[in-house]
Amino acid sequence: MEPTLMRHKPFCDIKNLHVSFHGRTVLQKVNLTLSDSGILVLVGSSGSGKTTFLRSLNRLNEHYSGYSGGGKIELKLSGSMQDIHCPDLEVTELRRQVGMVFQTPNVLPVSIAQNINLPLKLVTGLDKAEREGRLIEVLQEVHLWDEVKDRLKENSARLSGGQQQRLCLARVLALKPKVLLLDEPTASLDFKASHKIEDLLIELQDRYQIIAVSHSLRQARKIAGQILVMKEGQIEHLLKKDQFENPEMLQKLLEDIF
Amino acid sequence: MNKLLNFGIYCWSWIATLGVFLVVGLLLFYLLSQGLPTIGKELFFGDAPAWKAILGQVRVWDALWPACVGTLFLVLIAALLAVPLGISSGIYLACFAPKSVKRILSLLVELLAGTPSIVMGLFGFAMILFLRNTFFPNANTSLLLSSVCLALLILPYLIFTTQAALESLSDEYLLIGPSLGFNQIQTVFHVLIPAAGRGILSGVVLSIGRAAEDTAVIMLTGVIANAGLPQGLLGKFEALPFRIFYLAAEYRTSAELDSAYGTALVLLSLTGILYGGAFALHKTLELRWNQH
Repeated sequence: MEPTLMRHKPFCDIKNLHVSFHGRTVLQKVNLTLSDSGILVLVGSSGSGKTTFLRSLNRLNEHYSGYSGGGKIELKLSGSMQDIHCPDLEVTELRRQVGMVFQTPNVLPVSIAQNINLPLKLVTGLDKAEREGRLIEVLQEVHLWDEVKDRLKENSARLSGGQQQRLCLARVLALKPKVLLLDEPTASLDFKASHKIEDLLIELQDRYQIIAVSHSLRQARKIAGQILVMKEGQIEHLLKKDQFENPEMLQKLLEDIF
Repeated sequence: MNKLLNFGIYCWSWIATLGVFLVVGLLLFYLLSQGLPTIGKELFFGDAPAWKAILGQVRVWDALWPACVGTLFLVLIAALLAVPLGISSGIYLACFAPKSVKRILSLLVELLAGTPSIVMGLFGFAMILFLRNTFFPNANTSLLLSSVCLALLILPYLIFTTQAALESLSDEYLLIGPSLGFNQIQTVFHVLIPAAGRGILSGVVLSIGRAAEDTAVIMLTGVIANAGLPQGLLGKFEALPFRIFYLAAEYRTSAELDSAYGTALVLLSLTGILYGGAFALHKTLELRWNQH
């Protein structure tokens, strides 16, 4: 094992990805090789195809009406690069390994514990004791355990927005994913709750390959290891850390883009 | 000119709204003033002692009790038949049906919903005639036949409300299951149906209300005026809406007509309670979704 070399190895390889809905092109001719250098943040104006790009990686676009698309996407799952459209890879297994957190917290209208238990039970088939262990583990991982340990049986709708979003994250982490897709995970949260999530993501970046859509440049600069700029359904730039840490250069690039 | 038109429309909508309120108010007032004085032990049990009548030890004549029990059984059996079928069909249409199949099936369900109840009754009656001439010479109109026809009548309500409850879930909600790696069956049964549960339940309550009030179907399929308590699935029975119809059509004294008003009031309260329940369910459902 050469842990130092693990960084900067490609984890995602995309060839000629194109997606359209009802005949309207959303993504076109996306060719991209991404290497592992921390959190990848997607930015771009609305309608530039960020969310669609994200959903291509766990094949969730296929659930939208009027979808048609093609191209080849390889992701590093369980140690090797795998074609996500390969018939040998069940789409349910792909989505277990490529977890997703949505823009607005979408907890299930059941208890806090059940929000994590139900997917565990249905997807992994772990027994009760193992599930309980996993529940505590992931709630600690998202720093929610101390806040909810005495009210696990309460309805999750009673949590605050930020807590709900962390619960959604815990729900995904419980399934032991390799890749985390986050679609503007702080868009519906206040400043303080957003900060908590951002710090959490920075903590988690060594354990999971994180790809996040962001609407805020401040956030992108804070958490990103690399920034992917999208425009009109295409990749405009892939910025390395030294490029976007220089504010003048970043400003100039963004003026070009928007 | 435009101002005048606006004012005209404004006035007209006021008058129209007021008119509806007046008509409903008058109807209720009249029903209450005629029916309320007759409500009492006499109306429900006639001359028979109440407890013995409830236990079925004595026969009740010229009173509501057998009709109450008949309507209760009728609604229960119809619901037992229609609810599982209707909810399953609604789930299929909302979650599983391919587009082309869905279009055809939805058309058929709409057709069923548009069928007048008397036609449903005629269908039941024709079926008995057919059975008598073929396999079962002894077949006759009965509680079971009425329930089956009523079940057919309320089926479309159940299908529509189930389908609507499931289809009104937000797009993001539909994606929770798939995004966590659930297959379609798991998503439907563990995520979508629990969320649509109250909507589905209110559909059940509404359809039960519809089954309780229908007269045309049961008139041709087994209800009679003085059957007493229902004597089993294949026996005749009494029912509240038919009793109202019968009393109003063939009363001999004004007291009999008044008892028809009392009966109408009992039926109205019964369906009113059911509708109220459905309304409360709708409210809590909306509240719950607004919190998200």
